Amino acid sequence: MIVYVLLAILNGIVIGTSRAINGQLSVVRGAFRASLWNHLVGFVFLTLVLAAIGQWRFESALALPRVAYLGGLFGALFVAVNSYVFPRLGAMNAALLVISGQMISAVVLDYLNANVTPTLARCAGVVLVLAGVYLTRISTRPLASKDKAS
Amino acid sequence: MMGRSTDWLMAILGGLLLALMINYNSLLARHTTPIFASWVAHGLGAVAAFVLVMLHHRVVRPADPAAQPGPRPPLWFYAGGIPGTLVVILAAIAVNSSLALSGAIAFMLVGQVIFGIAVDHLGLFRTQRRRITRIDLLGALAVLAGSTLIIFGGR
Repeated sequence: MIVYVLLAILNGIVIGTSRAINGQLSVVRGAFRASLWNHLVGFVFLTLVLAAIGQWRFESALALPRVAYLGGLFGALFVAVNSYVFPRLGAMNAALLVISGQMISAVVLDYLNANVTPTLARCAGVVLVLAGVYLTRISTRPLASKDKAS
Repeated sequence: MMGRSTDWLMAILGGLLLALMINYNSLLARHTTPIFASWVAHGLGAVAAFVLVMLHHRVVRPADPAAQPGPRPPLWFYAGGIPGTLVVILAAIAVNSSLALSGAIAFMLVGQVIFGIAVDHLGLFRTQRRRITRIDLLGALAVLAGSTLIIFGGR
């Protein structure tokens, strides 16, 4: 159990590493190019992994409805947006705001997909997340005025 | 001030894009394998990103004809895609463990935030160092606590 907890935490660190590197690339090459490189390099790397483990699943993938392929487009947009804001907001704020957007979207998507009213616990969660977002907003404010001065 | 607000809203919009990406990619993964689904998503994502680069180039070029090479970035700046793919592989292991999906996601968020604090504090990956204030930590705690309630709060 503890091994898997550590693995999940490690995964969060790996996510952060990827976003930090892409953010740095976007400063020199622009956010869209950073997204393109991220996807190209990842694609080549995964091709090697798949070739090694032989897990190709073309038949079952082609049988799926077309919408299943929309993930690639949203991924390309996400990496571009995140790489753009990352160096501007800082690692922690970027992570917190993305998580907030993701969590609130998850509640809304569940509601739209399955038409279930969110539980009380989830509503309380949304309120807490928004409170946290408000707090990061306060703490970024002095930084903004400092930027103007320089 | 204006610029900050836009960045702030864009980051939240990024979270929506991420939720949509996961929504569709997990549909693909359920019918294939997580790694194959990620391969497909990266391939199509590369095509989509290429189109975005081209569109952006067309829009920006007239205004900024000299929008080309700045300082040459080190090679590892291009390697962000590799940890990005490792995420999928590690997640596939953690999700299928005794932790289950909710637990795995919760700890991933904790890992992300703690690591974000470390990156800012130490200026890792050549990022600008940032001071983490007590309000920052309070905000982080609130977001993580709220996320935990959303993840475990049942549908």
